[in-house]
Amino acid sequence: MDMQLTRRRFLQASAGAGAAALMVGRMGSTAFAQSPAAAAEPGSLNFLTWSDHWNPDALAQIGTEQGIQVATSDLSDNSDGLAKLQAGNSGLDLVSGDALWVPAYDANGLVEPMDLSSLTVASELYPMARTFPFFTGANGYLAYPWGWSPIQIAYDPVEVTSGADSWQLLVDPKYAGRIVMENQPIDIMLFAGKAIAAVDPYNMTDEELARAKDWLTALKPNVLKLVAQNGEVRDALVDGSAWIGTSNLGMPDRVKDAGGPEIMAFVPKEGSVGFIDGEMAIKGAANLVRVAPYLEAAATAQWCAQNFLDWGRPLWNEKAYQLLVDMGQKERADRYLYNQPEVALQMTLKGPGGRVGDYLDTFNSVFGA
Amino acid sequence: MTSEQRPRLRRQWPLLPIALLLVFCFFLPMALMVVYSFWTTDNAFRIVPEWTLKNYQRFFTNETYLRTFGKTLLMAALVTIVGIGLAIPYAWFLVRYTSRRTQRILLLLTIVPFWTSYLLRVYAWQAILGARGLLNETLMGLGVISEPSRVLVYNNNSVFLVLLYVYFPFAALAIYASLEKFDFTLLRAAQDLGAPPWRAFMRILLPLIKPGIVTAGIFVFIPVLGEYLTPTLVGGTEGVLISNLIYNFFRGAQIPAGAAPAFLIAAFVTVLLIVFRRYLRLEDVVSRG
Repeated sequence: MDMQLTRRRFLQASAGAGAAALMVGRMGSTAFAQSPAAAAEPGSLNFLTWSDHWNPDALAQIGTEQGIQVATSDLSDNSDGLAKLQAGNSGLDLVSGDALWVPAYDANGLVEPMDLSSLTVASELYPMARTFPFFTGANGYLAYPWGWSPIQIAYDPVEVTSGADSWQLLVDPKYAGRIVMENQPIDIMLFAGKAIAAVDPYNMTDEELARAKDWLTALKPNVLKLVAQNGEVRDALVDGSAWIGTSNLGMPDRVKDAGGPEIMAFVPKEGSVGFIDGEMAIKGAANLVRVAPYLEAAATAQWCAQNFLDWGRPLWNEKAYQLLVDMGQKERADRYLYNQPEVALQMTLKGPGGRVGDYLDTFNSVFGA
Repeated sequence: MTSEQRPRLRRQWPLLPIALLLVFCFFLPMALMVVYSFWTTDNAFRIVPEWTLKNYQRFFTNETYLRTFGKTLLMAALVTIVGIGLAIPYAWFLVRYTSRRTQRILLLLTIVPFWTSYLLRVYAWQAILGARGLLNETLMGLGVISEPSRVLVYNNNSVFLVLLYVYFPFAALAIYASLEKFDFTLLRAAQDLGAPPWRAFMRILLPLIKPGIVTAGIFVFIPVLGEYLTPTLVGGTEGVLISNLIYNFFRGAQIPAGAAPAFLIAAFVTVLLIVFRRYLRLEDVVSRG
């Protein structure tokens, strides 16, 4: 056999391999298979999400039982996810998003709506989670409801002995370099809006924006670092490098579970923002066919209960609450409002607002050199 | 086409892949960035092709951006100067005082960090400098400090230190390549003619290894200008550089707002390369002379 690779043969072989790769790629991009009866097609699923939306054991089990290899990548904040998808060819199949950000994804044509009634696991959700107006699109439900929480301020009571009821705690000069927050500029601007009692924190006036900037200027020297994921807030509270951190529900237990000090948390009296998040199937994603089987396997009561025990903020799976009660975790579940889902709709929900460019500019003006 | 032009074209066609690479991976993205930088974004995060100068206006009228860019230039200059300052004696030591075999081992050790990811190397520094990091634990163990020091990390100093660590090998390799080709008898000749060692160093050695120094300078200065990860991981709120601010726009889906300063930096780097192009000798880095 002539094994010599001529240029012509090389080009022919390359073209053939390219065409084959293209066909394999297209085979995966069928419509979002929502039928619970549909067997999972083995393969990969690329999920852009926060670190508290998955459990390594769950992913391992899904890999073994369903043949779905889930590759997660860290989502820093909602606008980051939107920007990545807008850029196109993200290679992603599933993305997490918060409340009012979900319609923004939809407005950009990035979401593949789903029919919740076709997902068996959706019957385990609190009924209200199946009818959120901001998850309801023209062609179906835009996101599979996952969890919710108000943003709280967690603090070490040994070091923080007063003022633990207000956003103003964050600008107390006593706490220079002792605060850790997630690096989410828009959310930090919303905190500033709440702190200065802006009428609409999402659409601050120029005058309010100027006051928010002053508040951020006072905040900056107190911030040790802005971190990528909530787990890093926990770590900083555990090792004592930070005394205060903004967080969702459950931080006291997360810190305690990680061997840290006794931590307390409060919702600021000026009010807070909160999130109701969900998982969105990405329109045109290569592995859309695996989204429904993944949700069926990962959003079960068993894994949601485990996720609650790991992270301490409530999820939308109602059956998981019962499971937690049966496991003797009722006190913890109730303490973190798992049994009061209606509270979620009383929060100022996270969303993009109308002045994103100005908000980022203000944030940069303060957090730049 | 003349018969003389044809063979010349035939000889040049192997350049086609690199030309295409340049066009599609450099010129085209750059052109897109320039166009975007003159457009705007609507409230639904869509890029709107309405021509505007406001993205550039923002950079030049908001003093934070200019100040942060100035700080970034200063940081890049300091890392470059100190990096080269350390690389010269290191390369001198290698060339003058070690055997070929030892040189190879030490050069290998110099580039060993490149075998792990950049991200891991910076994270390793977090583990060294952090509150419960190696350095703090050691100092506390020795009784030098009673509680973790907060001056080691999340400030400008830690950004400088980590950048120096990350980019030192580039400087060391470029200067080593230059020094290795240097004829050291010239220094002896200068001293024989009455030049004190420092003058021989300044008037003979430095001018002759200048291409290596400039190459090292460019290889360190330019990447530091675009550094994002190191200030993010070890800089805290004090160690922010210009790329961190630009990134905030991109991840906020405000691409035109981020494209303007990104293009300005790219243009600045291009001008810098044009100015220093006659000194930029890749062979100083990749060849052994």
